[in-house]
Amino acid sequence: MKRALALVTFLALAALAQGALKVGVVVSATGPAASLGIPERNTFLLIQEMLDRQGGVAGRKVEFVILDDASDTTQAVRSTRRLVEEGAVAIVGTATTPASLGMIPVVAEAKVPMISLAAGKEIIHPVDAQRFWVFKTPQTEELMARAIVADMVARGVKRVGYIGFNDAYGEGWARYFEAELKAKGLQLVVSERYNRTDTSVTGQALRLIARRPDAILIGASGTPAVLPQRTLKERGYRGLIYQTHGVANPDFLRVGGKDVEGTLLPAGPILVAEQLPSTFPPKRVALDYIQRYEAKYGIGSYSTFGAHAWDTWLILRPALERALKKADPDKDLAAFRAALRDEIEATKGVVGTHGVFTFTKEDHLGLRFEDAAVMVRVENGRWKLERVFR
Amino acid sequence: MRRYLWFALLLLPFLLSPFPFYVTLLNFFAIAALVALSLYVLTGLGGMTSFAQAAFMGVAAYATALLTTRAGVSPWAGLALGLGLTLAFALVLGLLTVRLKGHFLPLSTIAWQVALYILAGNLVGLTGGHTGLTDLPALSLGSFSLDSPFRYAFLSLFLLALLVLALHNLRESRLGRALLALRGDALTAASFGVDPAALRLKAFLLAGGIAGLAGFLYAHFLRFVNPTPFSLEASIKYLVMAVAGGVGTIPGVLLGSALFTGLEDWLKDLLPLLLGRQGNYETIAYGLVLAGILLFAPQGLWPLLAGKRAFGRPALPEAKPLPQRPPSGRRGEVVLEARGLRKAFGGLLAVNGVSFALRRGEILALIGPNGAGKSTTFNLVTGALPPDGGQVFLFGQEVTGLPPYRVHPLGLGRTFQHPHIFPEMTVLENAALATYARTRAGFLQVLFGLHRKEEARALATALEALRRVGLGELALERADRLTAGQQRLLELARLLASGAEVLLLDEPGAGLRAGEKRELAKLLLALAREGYSVLLVDHDMDLVMGLADRVVVMNYGEKIAEGTPEEVQKNPLVRAAYLGEVEAA
Amino acid sequence: MDATILGLLLLDGVQNGVIYGLLALAMVLVFAVTRVILVPIGELMMFAPLSFVWLQGGKLPGTLWLALALGALWALLERGRGRGLPLVGGAGLLLLFLLARGSPALAYLAALLLVVYLGVATYRVFFQPMRAASPEGEHRGATVLALLIMAVGLHVAYQGLGLVFFGPEQFRPDPLLQGEVVVGLTWQGALVLAFALLSAAALYLFFRRSLFGKALLAAAENRLGARLCGIRPEEAGMVAFAIAGLMAALSGLLLAPLINAAYFMGFMLGLKAFVAAILGGLVSYPVAFFGAVLVGLFESFTSFYASAYKEALVFLLLVPALFYQSLRAKGVEE
Repeated sequence: MKRALALVTFLALAALAQGALKVGVVVSATGPAASLGIPERNTFLLIQEMLDRQGGVAGRKVEFVILDDASDTTQAVRSTRRLVEEGAVAIVGTATTPASLGMIPVVAEAKVPMISLAAGKEIIHPVDAQRFWVFKTPQTEELMARAIVADMVARGVKRVGYIGFNDAYGEGWARYFEAELKAKGLQLVVSERYNRTDTSVTGQALRLIARRPDAILIGASGTPAVLPQRTLKERGYRGLIYQTHGVANPDFLRVGGKDVEGTLLPAGPILVAEQLPSTFPPKRVALDYIQRYEAKYGIGSYSTFGAHAWDTWLILRPALERALKKADPDKDLAAFRAALRDEIEATKGVVGTHGVFTFTKEDHLGLRFEDAAVMVRVENGRWKLERVFR
Repeated sequence: MRRYLWFALLLLPFLLSPFPFYVTLLNFFAIAALVALSLYVLTGLGGMTSFAQAAFMGVAAYATALLTTRAGVSPWAGLALGLGLTLAFALVLGLLTVRLKGHFLPLSTIAWQVALYILAGNLVGLTGGHTGLTDLPALSLGSFSLDSPFRYAFLSLFLLALLVLALHNLRESRLGRALLALRGDALTAASFGVDPAALRLKAFLLAGGIAGLAGFLYAHFLRFVNPTPFSLEASIKYLVMAVAGGVGTIPGVLLGSALFTGLEDWLKDLLPLLLGRQGNYETIAYGLVLAGILLFAPQGLWPLLAGKRAFGRPALPEAKPLPQRPPSGRRGEVVLEARGLRKAFGGLLAVNGVSFALRRGEILALIGPNGAGKSTTFNLVTGALPPDGGQVFLFGQEVTGLPPYRVHPLGLGRTFQHPHIFPEMTVLENAALATYARTRAGFLQVLFGLHRKEEARALATALEALRRVGLGELALERADRLTAGQQRLLELARLLASGAEVLLLDEPGAGLRAGEKRELAKLLLALAREGYSVLLVDHDMDLVMGLADRVVVMNYGEKIAEGTPEEVQKNPLVRAAYLGEVEAA
Repeated sequence: MDATILGLLLLDGVQNGVIYGLLALAMVLVFAVTRVILVPIGELMMFAPLSFVWLQGGKLPGTLWLALALGALWALLERGRGRGLPLVGGAGLLLLFLLARGSPALAYLAALLLVVYLGVATYRVFFQPMRAASPEGEHRGATVLALLIMAVGLHVAYQGLGLVFFGPEQFRPDPLLQGEVVVGLTWQGALVLAFALLSAAALYLFFRRSLFGKALLAAAENRLGARLCGIRPEEAGMVAFAIAGLMAALSGLLLAPLINAAYFMGFMLGLKAFVAAILGGLVSYPVAFFGAVLVGLFESFTSFYASAYKEALVFLLLVPALFYQSLRAKGVEE
């Protein structure tokens, strides 16, 4: 009797599982990019709960299969392969640029649409045969660099210094920041590197200060970004200090304390959602996300990185609905995936937490500078909206 | 012929094709197994721990990536360049590294590994920096493109099987024995003609080349190259795979690679079911699994699983032994001569002006109280220590100061105070080590299996020597199962197999029972009659006096007497030296 | 490069070097007595300040449960009276933690004792069984390489646990002493320096002068011989790990205000400390400490001149040093 029951249950579950839409998610829940990956994963768990309550999308269950890539390229590729071969209709992830780049050939070969959570412009540009399948939601470093330099120009900064991580994040920033500086006629007088695990950057700080820049950009993310800032302050640097959007999380403020007062950084609008003018499109969507996330994970726990994940769902959901009208994943998975890709590309004017997304054949990021970046200043241990570019 | 079963690996893609993801894993397994095999050569055989195998992978991977993306050349040219560059790097690094002793060697590999990783990440113009190089072309055989994991698996598994065969050949060859000997005891290996630095370097090159091949396969599988897979963490991962599986055996490293390649994904499946999706516990579980394996199997999983069961015992060799010239030449001709040897250690003058001559067919005993300088003299004559003054002549040729591996091929062999046998090898293999200087197969010949004939003859030579000393029945036993007396005989058999005519025996009777000593004495007398020349050091006066034709007595580093046993026993200086001044009356 | 910069770089180098030195001392100690290369020392170092921060927030850190779990395993492995130490120690630790929530002084002590307990338990559960050869000799005691791989496995596991317990971000506890002694050196930094010098001296005296210290060394050189003299090798191992744990914990607690502790910061520190330890030939304390300070100074200057290549240069510095050491050392086949 018991065995028959088990068999029936198993078959029923199997039957149920058949109809479910699998969305594969690759995030860096461990390793150096964990401070990005954990909020992203948490967001998908949040979305999963919502969908389970609502019964899914267009009557079909949706299942997020979340795999950790440990911030490692090979793992990301393996995980992607696995998700694709287990029938995922789309892939979301991951937060680091090299890993996302590694995933591209896999999704291109398998003809599965992918929405990346990483910053690198190379992920979606130029849109060639492979990147045909790839989209992304986070602002590129290029876009954020534009914001920083625009702010610098407005403040009359002429000489600029840079210190960044000795990894893909820092390297990407260095490249685009320098290009933007050149384009706007500012001078990069010194460029240093350090490692996330370093316990001291005195040498680099001294070198930076010796060149007397008007402003210094720190190309780092998470709490390790505090170290150079504190060291610069201790060594007597009095100029402007900019950080990247990689520090837009509450831990940075907690660890930085007084040392990071007055920091300027570009950020997605969500970081200062309540302070945005009500005419700013992402405001309502951002506040909604914050409320949901904090309801589950606690006040003050939301992060801008988790918000990128939310944005992918804001794009993916309507695209799924439209694609389901055109094709049936159970009958022809390949056709469905292709249809889904087309529908994602057809995204127009979707308001997300970080901006308004409009994809085209050539532009798989779809963000406008004016909606997607604001300048924020750290004041009294809080984020304060400093400048809007609209 | 059982070894060709390894090609059954090629069936795996078919078996696993219903699970496409596992076909992908198969490729990762093959690549990891290649690197683990490189560690088998370097660490398992050669005893050198390397933390830089991933760096060698990286060199080849970047070479092929740059060549195929920047110059648009065929990936096979990338392979050639990749291997060439990897070997060049291995040569440079090896020359600097293999001379380091003990734990300094692994540390130096850490240095190279970190340095290469950082260079790869920072020479942005060349390597694309941390973002890496994308869009590598797929490999193709003619018009057949290997662009899917299924197809690629055939290539990677085929290469893996080939390499396994080649390394089997290596293990069962003069080079395999020499490496194992080198790992255990460099001095003994050198005394049989093994040049330690040269052999280590070649092992380093081979290991580097294999890792380079793995790097090439990785690059064209992922079709994307960045520094992370070639970092210190990656090197450590491969080392973990090899050691946890059993770095001293080929099946062991393959088992370790398979287990840990699959483990990461099995954990990803298993842990969320057990522990919920909120946390990420794979790394913790990975670490604990590794710890668990080492707790229960410190030598690795494979030795634990396989136990002592020999997978089929090799048959006794039946080939003709190597040509053995029995000692020829006039009896009484001087074969070994020491003139005025001097050696000082700091302020202590261990050997001062010692001279003697050993004639063909004679047994010369070197005796003296403890600390007289006998072992030091031995070391000076055999080349283990360079003398501060004086000369050594072997067969009339000056050999003063030459290292042991240069002296030995000229016809001189020695044993040691404690039997220096190698427990992981069989008795036969131990004896066969001695034929190293008489055989010539190099690495390439061995890897391709072209050495079989010579190998068979070498083993036959060893077997004959074993039979000569009465150990023939024990030839296929592990050497650590011999008694002390049998170990001494094994040492002697080794000398005979080596073709040395001049035998230097350091305390051959030590640890032997009375009966065994008698057998030993009989054997030595027989050898002397055949024309072998024996110089021995021992403390057992009965043995020495009954055996030796002539005796040289040393005390405080100087020769104090020389003559027949009777003459020496009556010599008052000798008595004083042994018994104290009082007796010298 | 002017005098101020030179001075600041020197100070920075010494401060960094001293950190490496402390860890190097602990690693040399552990290696000398147990042949284990203590790769997880970085994690042990970080567990102390992180646990402290948790206690200050009134919460019990996950490291407590880890220590208790290992303690339970330890007790299981012992027989009879040997069980007393882990059980009493574990109970005491739990009690101390419950009392220490919110009290900084007690929290310091609690975090310290936690890491010491954890260190000893780690040795007892994972390393001691490996080092004992089986009676029939069917498997020999583990080689240094096998011990190293075990240490790697523990490093991976502990780092993963660190992420689960404390999250991915850094923490900055308040320093014991505020303010600067002189430009470039805070009082806290001076405290660290003082502690380091004291430890180096203490270890030196311990091993050269005290009987117990010499017994420890004997147990490492020759297990059988030591046992014949009445020294228990297992005990020696536990003491070595206890001392190492103590040093790692104290260093971590003193340093955390200066460097911001996070679960991942330990590995690189441990690796560079290991480098320094090797420079001392893994046997000599003063040389290891001195070597560590050299590493720190070199690192400080290379971060000024070539920050992108700093790590590579520091490790490459090793090579000539290795050559020198290797030529001097007698052949150690390991």
